[in-house]
Amino acid sequence: MNEVITNNQEKCDQALAALHHVIDPEIGLNIVDLGLLYQIDFDEDNKIIFVSMTLTTQFCPMGDSIRSNAGKAMQHTFPEYTIDIALVFDPPWSQERISEQGQQFLNR
Amino acid sequence: MVVTTNNNLVQNTTHKVVIPFYVYAALSFLAATILLFLSDNAFTQHYFHPRTLAITHTMALGWGTMIILGASHQLVPVLIEAKLFSNFLACLSFAFAGLGIPLLVYSFFTFQLNWVAQTGAILVNAAIICYLINLAVSISQSKKENVHAVFVFTASVWLLITTVIGLLLLCNFTESILPKDSLHYLSLHAHIGIVGWFLLLVIGVGSRLIPMFLISKYDNRKELWLIYFLVNGSLISFIVLFFSGVDDFLYVLPLASTLLALVLFAKYCYKAYQQRIRKQVDEQVKISLLSVAMMLLPIVLLLVMIVLLVFSFANAKLALAYGFSIFFGWLTAIILGMTFKTLPFIVWNKVYHNRAGKGKTPNPKDLFSESVFNKMGIAYLSGFCLFLTGVLLSSAIALQIASVLLLITAVLYNFNVLKMLLHKPLIK
Repeated sequence: MNEVITNNQEKCDQALAALHHVIDPEIGLNIVDLGLLYQIDFDEDNKIIFVSMTLTTQFCPMGDSIRSNAGKAMQHTFPEYTIDIALVFDPPWSQERISEQGQQFLNR
Repeated sequence: MVVTTNNNLVQNTTHKVVIPFYVYAALSFLAATILLFLSDNAFTQHYFHPRTLAITHTMALGWGTMIILGASHQLVPVLIEAKLFSNFLACLSFAFAGLGIPLLVYSFFTFQLNWVAQTGAILVNAAIICYLINLAVSISQSKKENVHAVFVFTASVWLLITTVIGLLLLCNFTESILPKDSLHYLSLHAHIGIVGWFLLLVIGVGSRLIPMFLISKYDNRKELWLIYFLVNGSLISFIVLFFSGVDDFLYVLPLASTLLALVLFAKYCYKAYQQRIRKQVDEQVKISLLSVAMMLLPIVLLLVMIVLLVFSFANAKLALAYGFSIFFGWLTAIILGMTFKTLPFIVWNKVYHNRAGKGKTPNPKDLFSESVFNKMGIAYLSGFCLFLTGVLLSSAIALQIASVLLLITAVLYNFNVLKMLLHKPLIK
């Protein structure tokens, strides 16, 4: 099961609710249940949100669109913040990061 | 404001470079099936027949090679994690091949192997040289060693060797520049192309794409390197045997090496399938997986031919069936499947990339008609099996019905490609 590291759990939950609408178009599952999000930190002084996320594969042809969609979803929920999204592949994504709902969706 | 740091994503090659290759390939497939429909009686005769040569080159160059060149301009940057060196060279490669292939096919069809055919062959060679330079510089700029990229590069070198031999064979028709007639070297030209270019490339790219589309974490570099050495070893030993003029039976050695490589690749795909995360497998991946099994058919036919040759019995029907099972069999099957796994993403990125987050976007697989795809699959499989039967039994009626089915396949394929290319955004 995936755990998103954060320094503000309440706002992180709001962010995850927004990111729940961002779908990986190939798999048809949202990026939260896929476990693509590693860290969401809030810098309240400078009004910046740092998002660290990954993709199921570095070769993903939709990677740029998924990241762009995630940025727009975050911006919509936190309009007063600058959203800084970093794509990381270390540690690589693994299927253990898929949530229980995600597993059910993929096992259909 | 949204900013991105630590950008590990490779910039995609622009769709303007890639899509023309797909369109050209789709039209070539249609042209090849029309030629097949008009020339089905040629498949009851010897394989060195003008129409058979025209159809083979339309399939090998116009269909197989053009779509692979297009897809690899998109895939290679992803494989090597670096940008494509030059879009201009890619366009030049398209222009040269696009002009050269019809000249070659026309010359084979009319069997006037004069300066027109030679010009066509020179243009095709120029296209491959542009592609190879682009590939070599792109790979040299990459920081990571990648087995898939090595497969693609080696395959492209074999492609250039194939097209250079092709040019020499054409020149040999008008002026005797080789020790023997061109027909003698035909199997060399064909096998370097089939094994060196198509097989090596399909394995190199397929071993990356099939696990990716199955969402499988299976990866086995050692096995891929073993396959790489088996295929190249097989080809090199074939060339040595060809020029040393030894006993036909010894050709079993390169054949066994290729067969072992195919079995290992089939095992690789099966492992990826077993370890997939998504249980449902879509039809496009299914037909691509089927093509892996279809690779074994030409190997069996070739084995039978070698055994017959040992007893000094050459069988032209088997040779035709062998060629048909390669170009209309596994090669076409994998292209039919993979087109609808790669082109939807290219079109989706073109249409929706700048509209991300502005509303609900369709999934890439919604850009083409699934029902037309399924009908195409049925027409293709029945047409392929029937045509093969027609060749082996010299049945004119089976060949006629099968060529209609394959023509229907090409029409449905083109319909879906066109549907994707004309897709209008569903959100503003």
